[in-house]
Amino acid sequence: MSPLLETRGVWQRFGGLVANSDVSISVGRGEIVGLIGPNGAGKSTLFNLIAGVLPPTQGSIMFDGEDVTRLPAAERCQRGVGRTFQVVKSFETMTVIDNVIVGALIRNTKMRIARQKAYEVLEFCGLAARADKLAADLVPSEKRRLEVARALATEPKLLLLDEVLTGLTPVEAQTGVELVRKVRATGVTVLMVEHVMEIVMPLVDRAIVLNLGKVLVEGKPTEVVRNPEVISAYLGDRHAVGA
Amino acid sequence: MGLLYGLIAAGLALIFGLMDVVNFAHGEFLMIAMYATFFLFAFFAIDPLLAAPLVAAALFVFGAVVYLLIVRFAMRAKANAGMVQIFSTFGLAIVMRGLAQFFFTPDYRSVTNSWVGGKTISIAGIYLPEPQLIGALVAIVAFVALYFFINRTDFGRALEATREDAGAVALVGIDKNRVFALGWGLGAALVGLAGAIMAIFFYVYPDVGASFALIAYVTVALGGFGSVFGAFAAGILVGLVEATTALILPPSLKSVGIYAVYLLVVFIRPRGLFGSM
Amino acid sequence: MDTQFAQRRRRDLIVALCLAVIAALAPLFVKDVYVQNIMVLTLMYAALSQSWNILSGYCGQISLGHALYFGLGAYTTALLFTKFGVLPWFGMLAGGAISAVIAMALGYLCFRLRGHYFVIATIVIAEIALLLFQNWDWAGAALGIDIPMRGDSWLKFQFARSKLPYLYFALTLACIAWLVTWWLEDSKWGYWWRAVKDNPDAAESLGVVVFNSKMGAAAVSAFLVAIGGSFYAQFVSYIDPESVMGFQFSLLMALPAVLGGIGTLWGPALGAVILIPLTELTRSYVGGSGRGVDLIVYGALIVAISLALPKGLVSVFSWRRGAAR
Repeated sequence: MSPLLETRGVWQRFGGLVANSDVSISVGRGEIVGLIGPNGAGKSTLFNLIAGVLPPTQGSIMFDGEDVTRLPAAERCQRGVGRTFQVVKSFETMTVIDNVIVGALIRNTKMRIARQKAYEVLEFCGLAARADKLAADLVPSEKRRLEVARALATEPKLLLLDEVLTGLTPVEAQTGVELVRKVRATGVTVLMVEHVMEIVMPLVDRAIVLNLGKVLVEGKPTEVVRNPEVISAYLGDRHAVGA
Repeated sequence: MGLLYGLIAAGLALIFGLMDVVNFAHGEFLMIAMYATFFLFAFFAIDPLLAAPLVAAALFVFGAVVYLLIVRFAMRAKANAGMVQIFSTFGLAIVMRGLAQFFFTPDYRSVTNSWVGGKTISIAGIYLPEPQLIGALVAIVAFVALYFFINRTDFGRALEATREDAGAVALVGIDKNRVFALGWGLGAALVGLAGAIMAIFFYVYPDVGASFALIAYVTVALGGFGSVFGAFAAGILVGLVEATTALILPPSLKSVGIYAVYLLVVFIRPRGLFGSM
Repeated sequence: MDTQFAQRRRRDLIVALCLAVIAALAPLFVKDVYVQNIMVLTLMYAALSQSWNILSGYCGQISLGHALYFGLGAYTTALLFTKFGVLPWFGMLAGGAISAVIAMALGYLCFRLRGHYFVIATIVIAEIALLLFQNWDWAGAALGIDIPMRGDSWLKFQFARSKLPYLYFALTLACIAWLVTWWLEDSKWGYWWRAVKDNPDAAESLGVVVFNSKMGAAAVSAFLVAIGGSFYAQFVSYIDPESVMGFQFSLLMALPAVLGGIGTLWGPALGAVILIPLTELTRSYVGGSGRGVDLIVYGALIVAISLALPKGLVSVFSWRRGAAR
């Protein structure tokens, strides 16, 4: 069976700046894959290319056996790509449940069923008690979880998580890790971008390290962290290793 | 001579583009300035050209007061900030128009027999009306002064920084309200200057501001919000377009050209000619 | 919590029904033509503001050029009737359809713009239309169109003696605008619009086609406003460009929704019920002098409400409800 997601020789240039050069990665069904790398490695760019925020300068992106390279974000969501944002983007003037309903509507046209579905997702993410609060009134860690809930409500095959664990307290991060495991247990494939290796390494099945816009190494987390190239790539970025 | 008018319009709108606050009472500021000029002339026989600095100073105070009494609170609104700004200043505009009707009556008034009014000057065989010429000169001088003020002085930098990030600015000890009040004062002072000159060759009546305010907005947006140079360039462009349209279409349609150019520009460049992201 | 939501929606519907019945019965007790006239205007503004609220309040695309659609509705009806003898009822639908199509065509061009740039574009487009109509001789140019009165008739929707038919039509229109909003609020579109308003990027990532959502909102909003314009043309039986397409009118249409609560179900109606009678009363009691006192009162009121209650008058009610719970 073909992998769920595959990027084939993807390039992205912004003017003279090359953010991604010849990136080819693949994510298998049911995997949790970590996309890591120092600041400016091109993780966010690659992430946005996969989510469909912008088309790549060159190369193609295959999802679930189809070429989705030119499809806009909304269309990719329809096909089963869900995402969160690095800088949280809640619908601030709407309640928590309404935030999730927006996501649920893509699979359910009946309002009653969409509402039901949204409520289930909130329970799954441990936010049911906050359902009637305004999204603006949530604390940051809850907003992160709301983003995950919203994306899950679209019933994705692939969930893209953009630094959902960064900036959380250890306890909150642990809750987050458990949530990601639970998500995978329901059969959803997860690709997560993280800057700080320590948080994600115990969680992911496989890690892909980007550096200077290229794939540096990929493999099991235990191997990757011991790889000398990875260590030297991160050395200029001491704070990530030391954290 | 639409050129001059464009310059003044750009001058009017400049500061407001810089501070990213909508002021729907802008035209009424102009109206007040024109009345002030008219009354200084009618009662004290002060020529509009001499009155201009006085009017500018008065409007400076007025602008700062409006900021402190109204706009400050409008900017603080947590919900619907844009609408609160639009409608609180729109309400102010209505009040000012009402006050003008109350005190000055809806009659049309005009300054007659000023030093330069109605006279023309001949330069290389082309006859130019003197008031417009003087207006153009004043506008250019004011612009150059403003340009240096914004780009070369501490205040100019503080203004820009405050718009970018009020919180960070507060940390280095700049009082946001003081900076913005001064900014509003300055913006209003420019309107005052323009109003004083325009009183020479336009009728003064309570609704006079409305017709100029919209053009002023279009000018700022055309140049791109936040760009001093953009407003200046857009002002000249608006003047030229207006003059050209007036040649081709009937005079009652002369604004259509300006509006069409605005639409054309933003469809191609959604942030105006010189707008930054 | 599911039932709580359904309860709230049912309660909204019942309250609206009661208010509509009260409004419908009111003419039995209020015979004064002046007061009835105010009621017609109040209901008309409630309907207009409710329609404006769909695009600007729910979908967040602030339009200060809705006078365009109002004017198009008024002109389509009046021109079709005076030039071709088409009954106003058909003119009304034609006006609505034309406005909806134009709204989408303009939306196609303008929805890429954001913030002030969008708002100014809406103003400018309406101004261009205003200037064109002022110079369009066939449509009466600046003088406008006089709709000839040929006796009371439902068919021609004109009534010289009684205001009542207009009152009932305005009431129906307000009810339709309210019901459409009520229905949309708990529909796919309602959720999409609010999502688009709050954060277009996030909406797009959840499968919402932002552009289409805005187009839908623009069409519905313009259609309803145009119907209002058609009604107005029949009501006053004389229209000219400035009185139906002027910039002031765009602001007046937005005002009840903004003061009542932008992007809320009850805001526009509440705003209209308070604002319009007040405007008319100040105009006739203190405005008679022609010295602008009515403007001063009216303007000061707008400043005060918009500063004191940025979320609008409805926030007073929801605060009470919250405290009681």
